Amino acid sequence: MKNYLNQNPVVLKLTILLLAALFLLPLVVTSPTLMQIFILVILYAYFTSTWNFVGGFAGVLPLGHSAFVGIGAYTSTVLLQTYGLSPWFGMIVGGLLAAIVGVIIGLPTLKLRGAYFALATIAVGEGIRVLFENVKQVGPFKINGPSGISITLTENSFTAFQFDTKAPYYYIILIMLLVVLLLTYYMMNSKIGYYLAAGGEEPEAAEALGIKVSRYKVIAMAISCFLTALGGTFYAQLMLYFYPKSILGLDLSYEIAFIALIGGRGTILGPVLGALLLRPVSELTRIYIGDMLPGLHLVIFGLILIIVMRYYPKGLVVPVKALFNRHIIDRFSKPKRIDESTTTEKAD
Amino acid sequence: MIGIIEALINGILMGSIYGLTAVGLTLIFGVMKVINFAHGSILMVGMFAAYWFVILTGWNPYLAILIVVPLLFYFGYFMQSWVIKPIFEAEKDVREPITVIIVTTGIWYVLDNLALMIFGAEFRVAKTTVTGKIVEFMDMYFLLPKVIGAGITIACGIYLYWFLKHSKMGKAIRATSLDREAASLMGIKQSKIYNIAFGLGSACCGMAACVLVPFYYVYPTVGVPFDIKAFIIVVLGGLGSIPGAILGGVIIGIIENVGAQFMAATWTELLLYAVFLFVLLVKPSGLFGLKQDF
Amino acid sequence: MKLLKKLVIPVVVLAMTVTTFGVSQASTTTVKIGNIIPLSGPSASVGIQGKQAREMALEEINSSGGIKSLGGAKLELLFADSKSDPTTGVTEAERMINTEKVHILTGCWNSAVTYPTTQVAERYGIPFIVPVSVRDTITERGFKNVFRIAAKDGWWAKDQFKFLKDMQDEFGVDVKKVAFVYENGDWGVGFAEKWKVFAKEAGYEVVLDEPYPSTASDLTPVVIKLKRAKPDVVFMTSNAADAILLTNTMAEMKVNVKAIISSGGGHADPSFLAAAGKNAEYLFDIVEWETDLNRPGLQETNEKYKKLYGHNMNGESVDAYAAMYVIKEALEQAGSTDPAALRKTLSEIQVCGGKAGLLAYDCVDFDETGQNKNASLVIVQTRTNGAEMDRITVWPKNVRRAGYTPVFPQPTK
Repeated sequence: MKNYLNQNPVVLKLTILLLAALFLLPLVVTSPTLMQIFILVILYAYFTSTWNFVGGFAGVLPLGHSAFVGIGAYTSTVLLQTYGLSPWFGMIVGGLLAAIVGVIIGLPTLKLRGAYFALATIAVGEGIRVLFENVKQVGPFKINGPSGISITLTENSFTAFQFDTKAPYYYIILIMLLVVLLLTYYMMNSKIGYYLAAGGEEPEAAEALGIKVSRYKVIAMAISCFLTALGGTFYAQLMLYFYPKSILGLDLSYEIAFIALIGGRGTILGPVLGALLLRPVSELTRIYIGDMLPGLHLVIFGLILIIVMRYYPKGLVVPVKALFNRHIIDRFSKPKRIDESTTTEKAD
Repeated sequence: MIGIIEALINGILMGSIYGLTAVGLTLIFGVMKVINFAHGSILMVGMFAAYWFVILTGWNPYLAILIVVPLLFYFGYFMQSWVIKPIFEAEKDVREPITVIIVTTGIWYVLDNLALMIFGAEFRVAKTTVTGKIVEFMDMYFLLPKVIGAGITIACGIYLYWFLKHSKMGKAIRATSLDREAASLMGIKQSKIYNIAFGLGSACCGMAACVLVPFYYVYPTVGVPFDIKAFIIVVLGGLGSIPGAILGGVIIGIIENVGAQFMAATWTELLLYAVFLFVLLVKPSGLFGLKQDF
Repeated sequence: MKLLKKLVIPVVVLAMTVTTFGVSQASTTTVKIGNIIPLSGPSASVGIQGKQAREMALEEINSSGGIKSLGGAKLELLFADSKSDPTTGVTEAERMINTEKVHILTGCWNSAVTYPTTQVAERYGIPFIVPVSVRDTITERGFKNVFRIAAKDGWWAKDQFKFLKDMQDEFGVDVKKVAFVYENGDWGVGFAEKWKVFAKEAGYEVVLDEPYPSTASDLTPVVIKLKRAKPDVVFMTSNAADAILLTNTMAEMKVNVKAIISSGGGHADPSFLAAAGKNAEYLFDIVEWETDLNRPGLQETNEKYKKLYGHNMNGESVDAYAAMYVIKEALEQAGSTDPAALRKTLSEIQVCGGKAGLLAYDCVDFDETGQNKNASLVIVQTRTNGAEMDRITVWPKNVRRAGYTPVFPQPTK
C-alpha cells in the first residue's frame, strides 16, 4: 500500500481525474433525489471508514458504532438548541465526548477476544439507546426521550450548518470522507498501524514481543469514535430530525459493520467500495420491489450478503482490485486514451 | 412483598425458558467459535412449525416436540452443511471466523423476511389445551405452560450435559471444541461434527419454540428480542457452557421480573445491559466459561 | 475493461436510468399519488392494511371513470416502504417528489416518519395528506401543505377521560385510582403526558405510571406490578405484540379492574382480537371508526374489503380509504394537478358524504393548520359473539349500537 502512489503514474492520474469528477458532480447532477442518494452513499462510506480504524485494523468486530453516531448528533444538537452554538463547534465537542466514551468502553473490552468484544459492543450500543429513550432532560439539555429532537429551521447559512440545496452537504461530507481516507492511509503506514497489524490476529504473540497492542487498540478506538461522532453531527444537520431508534439502533451498527466487511475491512478502499455497491442495492431493491411483496427486498439483500461472503470472504475489494490491475492499469499504461465515464465509476 | 416473591418465581420460570433459547447458541459457539446471529430466526422457524402443528392437528402442544425438534435438527444440519460450511472451510485457519457471523446475519434477513412473505405480518396465537391455565399458590399465579416449560428446560439441560459428557458423539463434539486440529488428527470428522452441533443447537431452538407456542405469539420477527437476550445470557453464563446458559437465563429472568417491581420496566432493560457489562469486566469468562475463550 | 464494465457499470447505470428515465413527464391522463408507508419491519401489518385500503379505493375511482374534470384522468398509486424509519421516509419523499414527480403524497402512519417527511413536502410545496399519525405537532408547525384526516393525540386522550366521566355518571360507579401502562415510544409517551394532565384535572389518583419497552419479550413483571397497584381503571397504549401479551397475561393472572381503556393501535389491529380472543372481553378501545357505525354504504364497503383481504376494515384503513376520496374530490374541484392549486383546494374543500362518508363523522374539513377539524372519536367495547369477538360502539351515546348496554364495571374474574 505504501507504494500505492509510486507504483504507477496511471493510478495517480486516475485518482486526480476521479477527484475532479467527484468535485464537479454537483454541477452536472441537479436532481436533489440523486444528490441525496450520493450524499448517503458517501456518508455511509464515511461511517464505515471510521469504523475501519477499529474494526479493520484492531482485529475486533465492533457492533455498536451507532452509539457514537448518536453521541455526535445529540451533542451538537443540544448545544445548538440550548445555547445557539454553531453545530461546527458542537461537532468537535461531540467528537471529543465520543472519544472519551470510546476510551472508557475500550479500556476494559478491547482486551477481550472477538466474540466477547462483539457482544460487549452490542450491549453498550443498546444500553446507550435505552438510556436516551428513557431520559427526557439532562440538566439544561432537552433530549426528549423517544420523541427525538428536531432542529429549528434557519436561513441558508454555513455557521448554522443548514443549506437549501444539497450541494453544500455533498461537498462537506465528501471532504470529510477524503480526510478520513488520508488519515487511514497515514495510520496504515505509521507505527500504530504496524503494531496493530502485528497484534490483530495474535495479540499474545505481539505482547510477548513487547508491543503494547491493547494501548494502540485504545488509541485506534478513540480516533474511530471521534471521527464517527463528526459524521453523527453531519447526519443530524442533513436530516434536521432524529430520534433514538433512528440513529442509535442495532440496525445502523450492523449496517456500518456489514458494509465494511463486504467491501473489505482493513483496506482503504474496501469500506468505500462496500458503501458504493451496497447502499444503491438496498435503495434500489427497496424502491423497485419493496411494494410488490413486502420483505422481498430484504431477502435479496440477505442473499447478496451470503453470496459475497461465499465467494469473496475478504471482501469485494479483492476482485475489484484484480480487475482494476488487469484491465485499467495494463491498458492505460500503454496508450493514453482516458474514458472519463469509466473512471468516475471506478472506485469513488 | 408477596408481589416480589411472585415476580421472583415468574422470573425463574421465564428465565429458564430464555436459558433454553440460549443453550443452542452457546453449544454452537462452543464448538465452532461462531456467534450465530440467525439464532432468533431459527427459533421463529420452530415456532411457526409448532404453531401449524397445533393448529392443524389440534393435539396437545407438547406432542409437537416429536415433530418440531427433529425437523429443526435437520434444518440446522443442512443449513450448516449447505450454506455455512463452504464459507467456514475458507476461513478454517482463522481462530474466529468473522465472515461466518456475517453469513448468519444474511440467513437471519432471509428467513425473517421469507416468513413475512409467506405468512404475512399477523400475530398468531395458538389456542392449545394448556393456554391460559394457571397454577395458583397463596394468592400468586403462575402460568401452567411456563411451569411446564421450565421443567422441560431442566430436563433438556440435564440430557444435553449427559450427552456431551458421556456419549461417544458428545465426546467427539467436546474434543473438537477444545482443539480442532487434535480432534481431526484423532480421526474425528470435523465437518460432520459441525453439522451435528449446528443441528443440535437448532433442535434446542425447536424445543424452546414448542415451549413458547402455548403462551406466546408467533410473528416473523418474533426471534429478535430473544436473540439479544440470548447474547447476554451466553456471555453471562460463559460462552460454550450449557449449565451456564440455563443459569444465565434464570438470572436474566430474575433481574427483569424483580427489577421491574422497583423501577419502570424500561429501566430494567438498561439494568440488564449494566449487569452484562459488569460481568464482562469483572469475570469475562462468565460464570462457567473456559478461560481460553475470552 | 469489459469485465470492469460488467461489474461496476450496471449498478451506476441502473441508478442513472432509474432516475433519469423515471422522470418521463406525467401524462395528462394519470395523477400520481405517492404513498410512504411501512411495508416491512415492525409496523408492516398496519402498513399493508393501509395499502390494501388505498388500492381498493383506487380501483373504485378508476373504474367509475377517474377524475372527470381532468378528462377522466386515472389515478396511479406509487408505494414506498418507509420501514418505519425516518431517514428512509425522507429519502423516499424526495424520490417521490423529484423523480416520480408525484402530484400528491400520503402517509406515513408512524408519527416519527411523518414528522420529518411532511417537512420535505412542505419544502417542495407538494400537498401531503396524512390519514393517520397522531403526534400533535405534525400540524402545529405552520405548514401549508400538510393535511391530517385523523384526530391528534391530545384529542384522543381528552376523549378517553370524557368517556370515563360519562360512564361513571351513567352507571354510578366510583373511580378513584387510575394506572397508565404504555409503550415507551413516541406515541405511548405522547399519550401518557396528556393523561397525566387530564387525570389531575379530573382528580384521579395515579397509582401506576409504567412505560415499558415495546420489544419486551416478557411483560409479566408489568402485570404483577399492575395487579399490586390495584387501580380502578387502566389506560393503555400498546402496539400489537405487546397488546396481545399484556391482555392475555392480565386475564390469566386475574387482574381485576373496573375498566381497561386502550388507545387503538395494537388494540385495534385485527390480529389482536384473533390472538387475545376472550381475554379481550369488556375492553374499551378508542378508535376513529368501527364496523357497526350506522353510516350509509359502510356494511357494503366493509364486506367488499373483507372478501378481498380477509379481515375487517379498521380506523387506520378507513382513514386511508377516505384519503383517496378526499384526493379525488380535491382533483375534481381544482380541475388541475398543479400542486399549488391542489393545496388551495384542499385548504378550502369540504368533503361530505359519498365514499368519504364512511368515516364516523359527516365531512372532512381542514382548518388553517391543516387539521381535519371534524375528526372525532368513538369508543367501542369488545364482547364475545360466538367464536368471534365483536367490537360494539358505546360512546358517544348518540351513536351507541341500538339495544346494547355497556358493561361497566366489568365483572370480577
